[in-house]
Order: sequence, then structure tokens, then C-alpha cells
Amino acid sequence: MNNLHIIPLNVIQLVSAYALILLSLALARLQHIGHEKQLLWSSMRMLFQLIAVGYLLHLVFAINSPLPVVLMLLAMAGFSLQVAGSRIKKRMPNFWRVVGSSIIIGCGGVTFYFCLLVVGYSPWFDPRYLIPLAGMIFGNAMNGASLAAERLSSEMHERREEIECALSLGATSRQSAQEAIRNAYSAALRPTINTMAATGIVALPGMMTGQILSGTEPIIAVRYQIAILCAITGAVAVTSFLIVQQGYRRFFTEAHQLKGE
Amino acid sequence: MEQTSGNDPLVEFIDVGVTKLSPAGAIMVILDRISFTAQQGQITGIIGASGSGKSTLIRLCNRLDDPSEGTILLNGQNIATIDPLLLRRKIAMVLQKPFMFEGTLLENLQRPFLFRNMAPPSAKSEEMARVLDLVQLPAEMLDRDARSLSGGEQQRVNLARALVNHPEVLLLDEPTSALDRPSTARLASTLSNICHNEHLAIIVVTHDLYLAEHIVNHLIYLEEGRIIEQGAGTQMLTMPQTTAFRNFLAQPERKQKSSS
Repeated sequence: MNNLHIIPLNVIQLVSAYALILLSLALARLQHIGHEKQLLWSSMRMLFQLIAVGYLLHLVFAINSPLPVVLMLLAMAGFSLQVAGSRIKKRMPNFWRVVGSSIIIGCGGVTFYFCLLVVGYSPWFDPRYLIPLAGMIFGNAMNGASLAAERLSSEMHERREEIECALSLGATSRQSAQEAIRNAYSAALRPTINTMAATGIVALPGMMTGQILSGTEPIIAVRYQIAILCAITGAVAVTSFLIVQQGYRRFFTEAHQLKGE
Repeated sequence: MEQTSGNDPLVEFIDVGVTKLSPAGAIMVILDRISFTAQQGQITGIIGASGSGKSTLIRLCNRLDDPSEGTILLNGQNIATIDPLLLRRKIAMVLQKPFMFEGTLLENLQRPFLFRNMAPPSAKSEEMARVLDLVQLPAEMLDRDARSLSGGEQQRVNLARALVNHPEVLLLDEPTSALDRPSTARLASTLSNICHNEHLAIIVVTHDLYLAEHIVNHLIYLEEGRIIEQGAGTQMLTMPQTTAFRNFLAQPERKQKSSS
């Protein structure tokens, strides 16, 4: 099936593609939108980051041993954790520990299950599989994680009265935070649920498109897409669950008291 | 709920203090060596200007907060050694703003039972009749959406909900702050009835002299975290012993309110 030759974009072709960014810049200027600088800066970042990661992947693929693959995954996880953290204005107590451990357990566990037991390629570190699959799982779970953490913090803040009212009536911290926990968890899963429902109709998912472009039979590409969406949903669910379950406790003392702000 | 035998249920504060760190890192004294006793069948009133520490004080009783120093006793037992969930059933608290959980009035009254994983009493049960009677809410209201009730009605639900656990002590934080004068008068007589019929110790924090004048037995005046004066309510109001308390009573807003 993979006998189709993909066109290796050369520099001239890339420069022609970049002309579209210049067109966007011109349109922005014409409309006096004033975000030309941002647009230019983002496009430059995109350019250099992708070229860098391309060569890095090239290197990792060439070495073909577990250590660089694992290091690369850890670096990706670290960066996305940092991005998730910086996006949140009001962080819950022990934010990094709660979110970090949830991501390691949630994403790590799901990635392990998915790559080794579901797809079952070997060797286990094969970068052609592990890096894109783990990358997608981590990236999506990170979005869920930041949504869960952010929503939990804001719910706990807005519901102080309700929580203290419940505590005063003899509720445990868990019972008093029930609504906040539920809403945070649901907010974290919402985008994944929406994506699943819309996928294939509203947009063709990136991975599937990529596989088709590189010559994979669409039926197989679709199977991969279904599998990865399941893995993403699982990773988002487990990670967000761990975040809200660990997270709400950080707002209370052992004696079921809501900590001061 | 098991009834304690022997001693009168009472709350005793012994040299209780609360200090907090200010954002700048300085130590702020919120409450300083607070000592008093709240007796069973009596209403203890805590009055003072806002910022005097009275809300902090009442939050210590059911351990929404813990003191930095000193001891609080319930029936002679240090409350720090009582399971907070059990303590909050014995010492019920009515928060300043009546928070209504989503659902009907009945569901709001059933909440405390659900928190204890117990089957809640039905609308027709004796228990519901008892609490509704105590706060003078008609049983027909049970099906109403709790959040659609008026402020005064919500305050009654708030009170009834605190009473379903058969507490020994009832704490109220500024219960009249959102009420007009007639509603305040009604609440005062309700509290007075509850105190005598249920034989509770009631501790009420207020800046409103009406409650102090009409139903409070033991009055405590708090200023900047210290007890300036305490004693029998009516006596203290007619013959204040300290200049600070006299000044507090002389503030025009209080004169107006108490005479209206």
C-alpha cells in the first residue's frame, strides 16, 4: 500500500507556501487589525520550532534506541505541563504536584496500554509509533488537565458559601465540594466529547489526513483514527479524574475545613 | 442523636486567640484572649462593629476555623478532640447569607440527612412537622423551589435546616442583616421559642441592637478582637460600664435602629 510516492516539498515550494502568511499579513494591515506583529512572530516560531523538531526526530529515528525516545517524550510532557500551567491564572494549592502526577499516571498508563497492548508493535520504543501516538495523547490530556484544574479552582472560589453551608450541616469535604468536582470533570471532558461527535463531519482529523497523504489506505487510516480517539478520551478522562480527586482535597484541611484564600 | 447526660450542654471559651499573617508578613491579632461561657437554654449575643472579630469567633465554635491558641469546650470536652462531622451536628450553624441548595424546600431540609448517608424523612414525617413548626413555615411550602422563596423565608429554611440535626448549640452569624424590622422581630421571637422549647444554647453574632435588647440573656461586646464588656443583656444596654461600649451604643445608626 505504501508504494505511493509523497512529494517531498522543496525550499521553493515552502517559500511559496509561506507567501500565504505574507498575504495574511497584508490583509491584516489593510484592515488595520493591528495584529501583524503577533502574526509574524507566531509564524516565525512555527517555522523554527517545526524545523528544529524535524531534525530532532530525524536524529531520534536514526539512533533508534529507547533512551532518546523516552527523553523526547519527557521533554514534550514537561513543555506541555508548563504551557498548561502558564495558561491558568489562579492555580490550586500544590498545582504542579497534583497536575504533574495526574498526567504521569493518566497519560503514561493509557499510552502504555494503547501502544503495547492495543497496537502491539515492537520494539516498544519504536519512535515511528511511540512519538506521534504519545504526543497526541499527552497533548490532548494536557488540555483536559488545564481545563480541569482551572475550573476546579474557580468553582471552589465561587462556591465558598455553598461549601461552608454544607460543611456546617455536617457534610464531609467531598460532599460539600461535590458540585465543584462534577463541573470541573465535565468541563475537562467536554471538548473531547464534542470532538468525537464532530469528527469526520466537521473536519477530517489531522492524523488521518497525514496518513492518507503519505499513502495509507483510508480504511486503515480511519481505524487508527478511531483507536487514537479512544486513547485520547481515556487519557483525558483518567488525567482529569485524578486531578479533581487529588485537587479538591488541597482546598480542605483534615478536619473538613475550607482553607482560607 | 444521643443525648448527653449530666452537665448542662454549654460552650466555654478559655483564653482563645486567633492570629493571622497579613499579606505583608506581619502578625495580625484577630482575637485576643477570649473567655466566656454560653449556657444551655440561654441566648448569648456577641455584638461589635464590623471587623471586631465576631464572625471569626463564631466560626471557631463549629470548627470552620481553628484557634491559634486557647481551648473551646463543649460539655467540658475540648472540641479539637471531637470528630468535626459529629461536632457540626451538635453545634449547628446558620451562616449569614441563607444559601439554598438547588431543589425544593423539602430537599433542602433533607440535605443534612443525605450528608450522613441516612434515609431522609418524608414531607409527612413528624420530623419535618417539628422543624417547620419551630420556624413557622407552612407545610404547603415544602414543594416550592427553595431559591424562589423570599429573603425572610429563606432565612427560616436556613434555620430549620440547621435544626434537623437536633443540635445542642445553635450558632447564628448576623441572621438579621438582610431582614427588615418586622422580619427581624419575627425571627427574634422564633429564636426565643426555639431556645426554650429545644433547650438549646444559642450564640448569635449581630451588629443589630434589636436582638440584643429583646432576646439576648448574656451579652458580649467585642472591639478589635477583645472582649471589652460582658454581662446580662438588658443591664449592659441600660448601664454600659465602659466608655468604648457607651460610644458604640451612642452611634447614630444604632440609636435610630433600636428606637424604631
